Amino acid sequence: MNCEQLQEILPHVIDEGGNADADAHLASCASCGELAHDLKHIATQAGLLLPMHDPSPRVWNNIQQSLVSEGLIRGGRTPGSAGVTAFPQRVAPPHRAWTPLGSFIAAAAVLLLAVVLFRYTPSAAGTQAANQASASGDQQLISRISKGDPAVGKAYEESLKQVNSYIADAEKAAKDNSGDAFASEQLMDAYQHKAMLYEMAAARSTE
Amino acid sequence: MKIAAPKGKLTQVKKVIAPGLSEAEAIDRAKNGDAEAFEALYGLHKRRVYSLCLRMVSNTSEAEDLTQEAFLQLYRKISTFRGESAFSTWLHRLSVNVVLMHLRKKSLPEVSLDEMLEPVQEDAPKKDIGSPDTTLTGSIDRVNLERAIEDLPPGYRIIFVLHDIEGYEHNEIAEMMGCSIGNSKSQLHKARMKLREHLKFSRAEKTAGR
Repeated sequence: MNCEQLQEILPHVIDEGGNADADAHLASCASCGELAHDLKHIATQAGLLLPMHDPSPRVWNNIQQSLVSEGLIRGGRTPGSAGVTAFPQRVAPPHRAWTPLGSFIAAAAVLLLAVVLFRYTPSAAGTQAANQASASGDQQLISRISKGDPAVGKAYEESLKQVNSYIADAEKAAKDNSGDAFASEQLMDAYQHKAMLYEMAAARSTE
Repeated sequence: MKIAAPKGKLTQVKKVIAPGLSEAEAIDRAKNGDAEAFEALYGLHKRRVYSLCLRMVSNTSEAEDLTQEAFLQLYRKISTFRGESAFSTWLHRLSVNVVLMHLRKKSLPEVSLDEMLEPVQEDAPKKDIGSPDTTLTGSIDRVNLERAIEDLPPGYRIIFVLHDIEGYEHNEIAEMMGCSIGNSKSQLHKARMKLREHLKFSRAEKTAGR
């Protein structure tokens, strides 16, 4: 099999595996081997991309208005609205005392924010301390959640692994592209994503 | 027909979306017009829907409009959700259809979606597969990959997002886009080649100290 023949079947090789001829050519041809490796790597990395962006508040505002005007919302009359159906004012959830786990997780979220701010101070000792604090916080969170439900703890562990990997990538990109607004935005999105995980854990702890 | 499972481990831990409110309860209450339930479902799924739209159209304003439309369609149709698939899968497929419908409307009526999205030949990746010393051996940071995806021609980007990021199979993509499976595979391969070119160029720029 020559390079041109290999390239014709390369999509199939990448997604479904190759035959003996294709494998032999990839093993013997550095260019085709590198190409197949790169394309597989791109596909793999793409599969690890997380949803990273939130829409602006105007989207929900517009949705609310449409839902009301279309009459899709029932009930929830606001005081003095004389029969006009509207979204109720946001009501604070019933007060519940924080459980010890909830208190810990809230503190960890604050710590995470402090780490985010602290890591922007160029200091090798600061970066090392931030890394240790982040890893320690993650481990404690996983450990506490797992005590309540091991399956959920495992899910959190996987999610934290993904988002930490994303943070590492984003930090490297921000460092390599100093002053690049896009890279900085990606880094902040990655940290916000992690903070969201901590918030979800805190919400779980107040059930 | 197999529906691709929703991506993201986060959906497994997000079933409790507010204290005392599970996703299943929110869906039931939304079917009865409960405003708080609508809001809770929006909060749970907005990020994934918006990120999907943004990656497919590469324009924040358009992506927000499409997100709005996807959720409105969701709320109009929520009474028809019977639970045969996961709610997030159903919403995801609905969102993809909203984006594809939008792209069809943008094209000329007599031009099919895949014809409209087919990149011009100058954009097609070259046959030259590159020399080994400038390949991507090693890690690709996801920030640069996101940036490269944004720069893909629309036809390549849509297929790449649907297949490699969102996990749809070629037969599902072909059905959604009204193209052939072969076309879907071909576009995907071209997208990956284009990304490789882009990422190699970025890497070479950095090496040159630009």
